Amino acid sequence: MEALISLIIGVLTTCGIYLTLRGRTFPVVLGLTFLSYAVNLFLLVMGRLTIARPPVITPGMTEYADPLPQALVLTAIVISFAMTAFVIVLSLKAHLELGNDHVDGKHKP
Amino acid sequence: MMSHIVIAPVILPLLFGIVLLLLQKQPLLFQRVLSITSVVAQVVLAVGLLHRVSNGEILVYALGNWSPPFGIVLVADRLAAWMLIITALLSLCALLYAVRGTDAEGSHFHVLFQLQLFGLNGAFLTGDLFNLFVFFEILLLASYSLLLHGGGRLRTKAGLHFVVINLVGSTLFLFAVGTLYGILGTLNMADLAVKVAATPLEQVALVRVAGLLLFAVFALKAALLPLYLWLPAAYAHTTAPVAALFAIMTKVGAYSILRVYTLIFGEQAGPAADLIEAWLLPLALTTLVAGMLGAVASIRLRQQIAYLVMASVGSLLVAFGLNTSVGIAAGLYYLPHSTFAVAAFFLLADSIAKRRGEMNDKFDLGPTMAYQRLFGVLFFIVAVLVAGLPPLSGFVGKFLILQAALTHPALPWILGIVLITSLFALIALARSGSLMFYRAEPPQVSKLTTVTNTPVGLMPVMGELLSIIVLLSLCLILVVWAGPITDFTLATADQLLQPDTYVHAVLGSGAKY
Amino acid sequence: MTLFLVALTPFFGSIFVACVSRLGRLHAAWMAGVVTFIALSCLFPLMLDTFAGHTLVQRLSWIPRLGLDIAFRLDGLGLLFALLILGIGLLIILYARYYLSERDDMGRFYAYLLLFMGSMLGVALSENIIQLLIFWELTSLSSFLLISYWQHRHESRSGARMALAVTGGGGLALLGGFLLLGDIVGSYDLSVILESGDIIRAHPLYLPMLILVLLGAFTKSAQFPFHFWLPNAMAAPTPVSAYLHSATMVKAGVFLLARLFPALSGTPEWFWLVSMTGLTTLLVAAYIAFFKHDLKGLLAYSTISHLGLITLLFGIGTPLAAVAGVFHIINHAIFKASLFMAAGIIDHETGTRDMRRLSGLWNFLPHTTLLAMVAAASMAGVPLFNGFLSKEMFFAETLHDINLPWGWLLPVAATLAGVFAVAYSLRFIHTVFFNGAPVDLPKTPHEPPRWMKVPVEVLVALCLLVGIFPAFTVEAILVVAATGLLQGPLPEHNLAIWHGFNPALLMSVIALVGGVLVYLSRRHLFAVHERLGERLEFKVLYQDLLEGLFKFAKGATHFLDTRSLQRMLFIFILFILMLGTMGFQYGTASLTGDRMLLPIDGVSLLIALILMIAAIGTVILHHQRLVALILLGTVGLGVALIFIKFSAPDLALTQLSVEVVTVVLMLLALYLLPQRSPSESSLFLRSRDWVVAIAAGGGVTMLVWAILTRPYESIADYFITHSVPGGGGTNVVNVILVDFRGYDTLGEITVLALAGLGIYAMLEHLKLSGSSHDSQNRPWDQDMHPLIMASFARLLLPLALLVSIFILLRGHNLPGGGFIAGLITAVALVMQYLANGTTWTQARLPTNMHVVIGSGLLIALMTGLASWIFDHPFLTSTFGHLDWPVIGEFELASAIAFDLGVYLVVVGATLLILVYLGMVHRQSHWAHVRKRIR
Repeated sequence: MEALISLIIGVLTTCGIYLTLRGRTFPVVLGLTFLSYAVNLFLLVMGRLTIARPPVITPGMTEYADPLPQALVLTAIVISFAMTAFVIVLSLKAHLELGNDHVDGKHKP
Repeated sequence: MMSHIVIAPVILPLLFGIVLLLLQKQPLLFQRVLSITSVVAQVVLAVGLLHRVSNGEILVYALGNWSPPFGIVLVADRLAAWMLIITALLSLCALLYAVRGTDAEGSHFHVLFQLQLFGLNGAFLTGDLFNLFVFFEILLLASYSLLLHGGGRLRTKAGLHFVVINLVGSTLFLFAVGTLYGILGTLNMADLAVKVAATPLEQVALVRVAGLLLFAVFALKAALLPLYLWLPAAYAHTTAPVAALFAIMTKVGAYSILRVYTLIFGEQAGPAADLIEAWLLPLALTTLVAGMLGAVASIRLRQQIAYLVMASVGSLLVAFGLNTSVGIAAGLYYLPHSTFAVAAFFLLADSIAKRRGEMNDKFDLGPTMAYQRLFGVLFFIVAVLVAGLPPLSGFVGKFLILQAALTHPALPWILGIVLITSLFALIALARSGSLMFYRAEPPQVSKLTTVTNTPVGLMPVMGELLSIIVLLSLCLILVVWAGPITDFTLATADQLLQPDTYVHAVLGSGAKY
Repeated sequence: MTLFLVALTPFFGSIFVACVSRLGRLHAAWMAGVVTFIALSCLFPLMLDTFAGHTLVQRLSWIPRLGLDIAFRLDGLGLLFALLILGIGLLIILYARYYLSERDDMGRFYAYLLLFMGSMLGVALSENIIQLLIFWELTSLSSFLLISYWQHRHESRSGARMALAVTGGGGLALLGGFLLLGDIVGSYDLSVILESGDIIRAHPLYLPMLILVLLGAFTKSAQFPFHFWLPNAMAAPTPVSAYLHSATMVKAGVFLLARLFPALSGTPEWFWLVSMTGLTTLLVAAYIAFFKHDLKGLLAYSTISHLGLITLLFGIGTPLAAVAGVFHIINHAIFKASLFMAAGIIDHETGTRDMRRLSGLWNFLPHTTLLAMVAAASMAGVPLFNGFLSKEMFFAETLHDINLPWGWLLPVAATLAGVFAVAYSLRFIHTVFFNGAPVDLPKTPHEPPRWMKVPVEVLVALCLLVGIFPAFTVEAILVVAATGLLQGPLPEHNLAIWHGFNPALLMSVIALVGGVLVYLSRRHLFAVHERLGERLEFKVLYQDLLEGLFKFAKGATHFLDTRSLQRMLFIFILFILMLGTMGFQYGTASLTGDRMLLPIDGVSLLIALILMIAAIGTVILHHQRLVALILLGTVGLGVALIFIKFSAPDLALTQLSVEVVTVVLMLLALYLLPQRSPSESSLFLRSRDWVVAIAAGGGVTMLVWAILTRPYESIADYFITHSVPGGGGTNVVNVILVDFRGYDTLGEITVLALAGLGIYAMLEHLKLSGSSHDSQNRPWDQDMHPLIMASFARLLLPLALLVSIFILLRGHNLPGGGFIAGLITAVALVMQYLANGTTWTQARLPTNMHVVIGSGLLIALMTGLASWIFDHPFLTSTFGHLDWPVIGEFELASAIAFDLGVYLVVVGATLLILVYLGMVHRQSHWAHVRKRIR
């Protein structure tokens, strides 16, 4: 399972980085979203993999998943949501002000 | 009983930001008054805090009353207080300039300004690595909006680059923090220091990876070569007060480097110690060179200043890179100097550009501006300040840095590069000054339109220049009281190089360290 | 503290002068005179002590820890220079008052002049060498201002910048040298340094230190090859040239040599570096001077050559040579200043300085001619004039090593230089004042105002007095100065005109005769020189260097910074990769740890595969944006499933709700953005990016693997155990969010709020115009709000709200919480907008989102602050249980209030973003519809 999750995170990172290196704003936004997926998963698994032990205190249960990474991920998700929203609108603004959606505003017809 | 003065500098701007948001319908004057009140109060608080910690005491504030390392703590030591006072004074000057019209160019300026300060102060005070990330995000998002404030094509483009590269940086930050947690199982910096020092050998490599990734994050914020590329455009194209305020932004990166690599990866860190020693000094020196070359090559004043910011970061990190207490002390003296000087320069550049009509801040034959003499004198002073020539604080800073470098093996390199780049600065600034002031034509001769919408009469002009004068006098204070100030910075550096005091203050003297 | 007064009076004076100049142009001149006089009268009482052989040191502590004090020192050498600076300064002030024309701004001139005077005094009187350096650089700065006084002239500006670059640059080298010197000696105090000559000479850093210090001295004293700035500085008003470029500033360099003579001299390095530089300068400059057509140019080069002479004397290094050096400093200051003033008078009266046009001025200005002749004779070293005496001593000194191989070289060269000195002096006098009638002068000259000549007369008188009665005039001050220089007893010397027949006398005679011959054969020599041409023009070289610097800087900057986002991102990633690999390169620990691993089950494998395929699909198909978006949604879904799988229900819920909003946002954006991304990066670029991306991904995979296979113990247990008793909630994640790490959450919602506000600020005054057709070029559907959906959405709203409230309240104990609740509410409301349109919804939901956000933040903050009342730290939580009739036992935690704040901020921010974007859309949408109708 560990190998699988490492692979998933790796793939997400790869895709994220590749897309962020594109020349147009939209793929860049996609890429950033991918990166945030990757890092959120990464943070979660830093508490190691635990199955079916949600950190909700229930009588009779002793073992729980590490709750701290989950909390961190929650914060991270919110922040990356805010950032993504910001970037999306900014890229819109750029598109409308620079006349094209190239990240450097270069006009390549 | 812990005193709330530690958290007050964080709460205050947030509170005022919220109030300003709720009262956004109120007239601008009202908002300005509120905003300035808040910043003045922050100056007072910072002074108070500085006074409290100047005796070497380290104040710890456990949020939610959860004992560290489980809850988040704020830690106020000399360094934190030093950064706070610098930030407060700088933002006051930036704000005083902004209320002369910049804040009306778009909505929410004052809210954003206050929240920016919220982010900065939080970052300087926090003792928790993940919390540092959160406050980085706050100050970044605020800075994005401030950067874009007022709009304009170039601004938007520069903003887009700034935002995207910083988002990647934030992601990297999370990777690094996650790695540290995954190995050491904690987030509190003091606790991390303890844990790192006790890392079993088979984990060290991973810890080092995390540490170096963090360095990349901070280097990006500090605009260290090769990660400075976002800076020139961003600083050159934003509004003057924002650019002035941003003089502290790169310093946040420098601060984080100083904090993390003295506390967590300091001498005591065993195999993970002195992670970045091999990197910091060379990169800082190259940054200095590249920045100065940029300043020489610039064809516009704002652009030139932006590159000078970069160069100043270079010198600052050269000082920190010496990794000795005198070196760090020299850097801590240089830090406020470069911050204030550059800020003053940005504001002055704006005032000058406004008066040169369509020539704006191009280095070229322009019309004589109103109060040419006055601005000429100011430009001369600021140039001397920035170029690090005697007798102003720039020279003292440079002297301290070189003096600290005397014992360093790389002395020839440091001496050579610092002196030659200073010569570059001299040449570049002499050129821009003589091009903009000496070659000016009287309006009747000049075909170029002179400007109209600038204040006339000595009093309004003085009002416009108020913040610049305040900043310059701050630099003057740095010179006149150089004795006590350098003593303070040295004490600060010593405090940083003895992280055990910090650790014991946070985790209690029982902490095994 | 009187010494402080002497040094600092001019600085205050300059400010004062700048102010009074508003009252009238002549006030400035008078004030400047008064200020100088005050400084002089402060100096006099101290003189007696110095003559008695005492050294006066006065200090104020500045940065004691670094041994940096404000300290002034008055000994013979300093006194001599102080007297020169102030005395000649006084004459210059008088002279300039008549020299400057109506158009020139006197206030500025005298302010700058006093600024310079103060800096120069500082150099002469500093005890601390770093302080000396400060004043040193100040002289460079103030001379920049003085040279560029006539700003409108190009040559003034370029000359000033050149002078600043060269002397300022030298100052930087000097800084380096002094740092090393201070390091060697362990103090920056001259008194200490002058004592510890032996330590210094023995130190390994001696040579680098010496070179740096000499660089400073040579640039300032215009020594070869740095001499070129001085002729170009002649663009300055003549009083400035007379003051800075003959008497004072250029003497700073030789002053430094004299000052540090006891500490640095007496080594072969010193001898060769200093004397060779001096000799070369002496010869080259004397030669060039002869061929200059510009009056001031000739004087400039002769100054350079005399400075070379002095340098050479210090280089020779014998005590007597040093004495001769000091003596020549005095003499040169006197005659050269007067010559410059004479030149100024000529320029002033005739309007030109070109010797090819000037001649026969004897008939117009007999008096000036007389003065000039005396001074020139002194410059040439004619007996009975002061120049002769020091020159004799110089010639005598060159003969020391005559017996060594090549020892004859020095005297020969010296004599040759003497020949040229005589020649150019002769040329100066003969061509200008005699030699037929002048050629088309701009204006007919006549004697200048009486007082303009007084300074010249005073100096010329000195030339004669010193020349004829050295023992009664100059002896005293010379002895004091030389003692101060050598810091010890003086060697046997005797100032007299007649030393009997000796080689020195012979050399003088040769020089005189030879000079006359050279002058007579000048026509021929000029022809030769023409062919030799401008080889010796270093100005050109300098300008090439400067051009080179600018070119290089431009090239480097544009190479580094191409303002391309792709490039900076690529570099960033590369940098990260490098650092990451560096980090891994440590120790021998294997990548894989020894922790128990979980088995893979089919379902998760399937999900993983789908997820990865979707991810890669997104990349491949990212040119069709809509498709890419859908695939992205799939990936997000997969991530949510993984969250569920690994027991993180809260995350799954959050992820899902965020996913929805994000996708909606992107859809809205996509409507305005182009439907496709053109593929523009070349194959190379794409493959390059692939390589980097895969490398990074691989790195992350390795990292995760390495960590997951290692055991760790974390602070987690604390949260598990304290969640219920301490935080009053069973959902540990939520308790962490609102309690243990509530501070993070406070920051997090601030970020969200900031995003909302920032986006609002961005979108206002933004004219949107989306494409009215989609990628396949089909027109968008113009039917605004499908009825079914509308009614369905209205039905859904209350339900959604109920759910969200429920989730909010239960959050503390079961998966849920403010954030998720907020998003659900937001989505439900957004649905109303989608289904029923903005107007309909706005009519029923007339709330200002800014207020919602603000109050949300306020509630959260206040919950935190409330704990201050109970004297607890910020964000300390409290909770209690209370029985509600229907619902039963219900727990009320302060954290819930905090969570309510979160809820409000989320709702506010999300709606602000979506609705605002939506409204902007509507305008653009209708714009299209109208276009189609027309």
